[in-house]
Amino acid sequence: MEQLTWFGAYGASFAPLLMVFITLAVVAGLCAALLAFTGSSAHASFSLVNGIAVLLLLFVGFLYVYSGLTGSEDGGMSLSTLGRILLVIALLGIFAAMLSYFMGTFFDDPAAFMGVLFKWSVYIVGALVLLWLAVTLIWQGSGYDAWLAGLDEGAMPPAEEMAHQKWVSAIETRGILASIVVRFWPVWTALVVLYALSIHYKRKLGLYGKLFDSTIGMIGFGLVMFWVFTAVFVGLFDLIATHAPLDQVSGMKNKLPGTPLRGAEMAEYPFYLLGGDNLARDVFSRMVEGSVIVIRIAPLATLFAFMVGITLGLPAGYYGGKLDTFLSFLANLILAFPVILLFYLLVTPEIVATGLPQYMAAVLFIFPLIFCAVLINSRFRIQPQKNYVWLAAVLIPLFLFYASAINDSGANSQIRFWPIDFFDIPGGILVVFVSVVFVNSPTVFRIVRGLTLDIQTRDYVAAAQTRGEGPWYIMLWEILPNARGPLIVDFCLRIGYTTILLGTLGFFGLGLPPESPDWGSTINEGRKLLSVYPHPALPPAFALLTLVLGLNLLADGLREESLKD
Amino acid sequence: MSKIHDNFEHILEIDKLSISFFTRLREIPAVMDFSVKVAPGEAVGLVGESGCGKSTVALGVMRDLGKNGRIVGGSIKFKGRDMERMSEEELRDIRGNEIAMIYQEPMASLNPAMRIGKQLMEVPMIHEGLSEHEAYQRALEVVTDVKLPDPERMLKSFPHQLSGGQQQRIVIAMALMSKPSLLILDEPTTALDVTVEAAVVELVKDLGKKYGTSMLFISHNLGLVLETCDRICVMYSGEAVERGDIETVFNKMQHPYTQALFRSIPLPGADKNARPLVAIPGNFPLPHERPPGCNFGPRCDYFEAGRCDHGIIPMDDVDGDGQHESRCVKFREIDWNAPITKADTKQKGEIGRVVLKMDKLKKYYEVAANALFGGGETRVVKANETLSFEARESETLAIVGESGCGKSTFAKVLMGLETATDGIIELDGKPIQDIPINHRDTQTVADVQMVFQNPFDTLNPSMSVGRQIIRALEIFNIGDGDADRRDRMLKLLDLVKLPRAFADRMPRQLSGGQKQRVGIARAFAGGARIVVADEPVSALDVSVQAAVTDLLMEIQREEKTTLLFISHDLSIVRYLSDRVMVMYLGHVVELGSTDDVFAPPYHPYTEALLSAVPIADTHVEKEHIVLEGDIPSAMNPPPGCPFQTRCRWKDKVAGGLCDKEVPPVRQLSDSHQIKCHLSDEELAKMTPVIKLATATAAE
Repeated sequence: MEQLTWFGAYGASFAPLLMVFITLAVVAGLCAALLAFTGSSAHASFSLVNGIAVLLLLFVGFLYVYSGLTGSEDGGMSLSTLGRILLVIALLGIFAAMLSYFMGTFFDDPAAFMGVLFKWSVYIVGALVLLWLAVTLIWQGSGYDAWLAGLDEGAMPPAEEMAHQKWVSAIETRGILASIVVRFWPVWTALVVLYALSIHYKRKLGLYGKLFDSTIGMIGFGLVMFWVFTAVFVGLFDLIATHAPLDQVSGMKNKLPGTPLRGAEMAEYPFYLLGGDNLARDVFSRMVEGSVIVIRIAPLATLFAFMVGITLGLPAGYYGGKLDTFLSFLANLILAFPVILLFYLLVTPEIVATGLPQYMAAVLFIFPLIFCAVLINSRFRIQPQKNYVWLAAVLIPLFLFYASAINDSGANSQIRFWPIDFFDIPGGILVVFVSVVFVNSPTVFRIVRGLTLDIQTRDYVAAAQTRGEGPWYIMLWEILPNARGPLIVDFCLRIGYTTILLGTLGFFGLGLPPESPDWGSTINEGRKLLSVYPHPALPPAFALLTLVLGLNLLADGLREESLKD
Repeated sequence: MSKIHDNFEHILEIDKLSISFFTRLREIPAVMDFSVKVAPGEAVGLVGESGCGKSTVALGVMRDLGKNGRIVGGSIKFKGRDMERMSEEELRDIRGNEIAMIYQEPMASLNPAMRIGKQLMEVPMIHEGLSEHEAYQRALEVVTDVKLPDPERMLKSFPHQLSGGQQQRIVIAMALMSKPSLLILDEPTTALDVTVEAAVVELVKDLGKKYGTSMLFISHNLGLVLETCDRICVMYSGEAVERGDIETVFNKMQHPYTQALFRSIPLPGADKNARPLVAIPGNFPLPHERPPGCNFGPRCDYFEAGRCDHGIIPMDDVDGDGQHESRCVKFREIDWNAPITKADTKQKGEIGRVVLKMDKLKKYYEVAANALFGGGETRVVKANETLSFEARESETLAIVGESGCGKSTFAKVLMGLETATDGIIELDGKPIQDIPINHRDTQTVADVQMVFQNPFDTLNPSMSVGRQIIRALEIFNIGDGDADRRDRMLKLLDLVKLPRAFADRMPRQLSGGQKQRVGIARAFAGGARIVVADEPVSALDVSVQAAVTDLLMEIQREEKTTLLFISHDLSIVRYLSDRVMVMYLGHVVELGSTDDVFAPPYHPYTEALLSAVPIADTHVEKEHIVLEGDIPSAMNPPPGCPFQTRCRWKDKVAGGLCDKEVPPVRQLSDSHQIKCHLSDEELAKMTPVIKLATATAAE
């Protein structure tokens, strides 16, 4: 088996073209941005300086492309390259002249022209990528045919081996990127189904449906859901990952992406798609396993932080006065405390032994219970029958969950009063959870308090007061639903912060165990040999980047769409 | 940068202007085929309901339509020059220099971080290159012109240190700094109190004469336009429907919309039985859902299928002299003098026993300087002073006063949101003044309900209409089971004349008037016997106001409700109330039956209020009384009579009594009391403020 290439068997034919158009897109994009800056507005006339600037930039761009493509062979630019560049410029000139002839407005406005050029380059790049993917996935048998032809006649190997060989050669034809795309097939399927359904029913889905009117929001949501689905398929169905996250294979230490496994079993995936780390573990599998941890902890921790922030922020804003002063002071106190120091303190063995994280969990985790209890009670206060049913239905499972969460049967545990303990949260995760909630809730508190101050002056709050509603009904059913817009946006952003915080914690080796595949820890491990072997650190970093970017775009999209009506 | 001195006949000439806004879905035409001419020194009024495109015209003149607005047809000529052909620099030079604009919210037009003087001086320094000293002199001069006290101190203060009326005067001063030839006023007084509004309008009129400035006056208030303008242009749904001299249009209107508009506003001179309010049926069409043919067609009494609903209806000359035009195909056939046909005059419910009684109610607030540690001096705000009155079953008691007079505090105390400092409130003989709302029993809470002012704020935006009414039923313990409550909710929707399908709609899908109806339905959910209506129609469009007012009165007739109608609009108060209570700075200055209050002798404040109300009727003559200054702060009320700082009768009282003592309540007749030191002889000398011109002629 050979080392896998990035683009596979057909990559060589597509790569140069792709490079050309990517460069064109970058250059045109830059030009458009620059020209927009220099003040040529929509109806400005074409100035000579602008024109020369554009042409120069284009020239430099092509110089770069061609020296990149051809320079690697002979170290310099050959005459033929120069000729090609001139040819392209001439062609471009003719193209521009034709455009300006047919559509007089274009060269009046070089910024707009560059914009169009950028747009089309991006489209072409997209089309090329799809084309390459299609070609690579459809014609993947050539290696296998060659292998078959190389066999002695009559000495056909067993069917299993034939199938295995077919599989291996398919991977070899695809290359690393296409193989990764194939590994993610359940995610793609899920995304396609989700998007098809959502777009089809978007008018009936409220704010979620409106998200599909905004390109930014759709991209963000896609990125987020990509990782959510990955976590689901890896965590629950054991798909996608090629190896176990802790398996070490001899001879794979720090191997480059696409290295074949030596003496791999038939059923084993025969390559390390993104290479091996310094303990010879598969980087790709660790990255996708890491998503499970991140997706499991970050949103839940953020949700808890919101419960705490909302339960305290609403009364602070609504009642005001001394309660508000006290709670705001407390929030400021926590905010003023250095976060990392706090984390270090919380994970110190002596502190853990005193049970402080457990006690903090006992306090912080009770807020969702309080929140739900008040929410239901204020709503059904006047209908006791319904009230009890709802309270029981919601609070009993929540209490069992709460009791199990704070109880720990471990030796060092300080809280061990509840006999029915369904699960133990590993100490590390509990600490991470507690610190994230502790640090985030004051900020949420301040947002909720501010929104409450604003909304409580509305007439519908006065109307509720004049019909004798209790204060908690007004806070939870009249004020909170109308503060949801900013809160949803902040929730998305805050999951992003939490994810980064998890990464930071992992990076400092805090909280999660050292062998954990979460992204922060893996980046930290890869950091040590970064200058020699960058490949173990980059994939988790890229994953973290895309998830947080997705969350930010999603928040942007939600904000944009929630403002429209 | 000098001014343009070309030869021109009109300052502003808008010809067949069309403006559209472009959204992702479609083009939305905001103004269509709109023409108007403003001669030098002339004031032209632009009247219409919200959404009819009047502000868009102003923005079009300023060329400030934003990203998605565009002029799609017609031309705007300023001093004979086509503004379309002007460059950005020329336009910038004209804005603020030749054309100045005054907006509705004064605070939003002033930079809160800059001293007034600096903001004013900026204008001539930028446009005319004046030196700082010259600019300061000019600023001082203009601030004196807008009649602000102590101009030098004014120039040194920040905007938030001034009252609303003073801020608006500063905005006007800023507009006048460069001595513009055209002033565009976009609802300049809507955010102000009536008496302050009257003073500002007076000022604008005087300044227009003094500086020879032309004015484009945008307003929804017909009375205000009558007082300020020479010519008027009525707009409906993006089109000018009638245009002409103010007298001609008011007296000989030639468009059904103008007529309907006049019929839907109450006139204080007229009797409610002889001239009942007629609401315009239906709703204002959305800009992208306009009907074919005449835009007003579907709501018009004279609609004729086949003629009114197709083609383009052009502006047509009425008299052939180009002075009066109407956009109606049938205006020559309509009998404009036909009397208003009203199906039946409904008899008002018999006024019954006393339901609510207030005796010497006081509400003081203590404002501490430091909330946390309780230090510093505490100041007392006297929001309500010795309020005494009775309200009976099926009676409408109007409470009139400007902002800060204590009417909202009074409502809060009555509802139980605050407890009284002193005095008694009796509901059916039971004292309730000390019981906060969460200790009141359900029946008491359900009995006293409130209708709020702002329709866009009165409903919870994230709960469906039906759910909100059902919640009120639940909390009042009405109905057994969810099905019964839903049934009752639908009946309440019937009561306020809303289709039952609205139960499942969200508030944002409803228009302002519809929301207000839901608010009324919610207030009556528990069979309320006393309803406090806090300016329930003042935020609604004129054509909807009449319908909502009628609805309130109809429900009152059926349910025998006691209506406490808080308002500053004396026209509507006269139209619907049985008794009127006038409040000023927490005091009841006058209380009496509607006829008593609206006829002399008046309390001096009532007199000023009556004079300040703009009346859209050319037959009415008003005595001109302009109050100086603003309402004093309740934190620091004047000694003696609360009104003495602005009273024009003060010198008629001997011995400076007004400065020393709060006047006692004097019973003028069984049903009429006032709080004033004026002697009976002086009171008897008062003449009516509002007179019908015909009546004066007869005398």
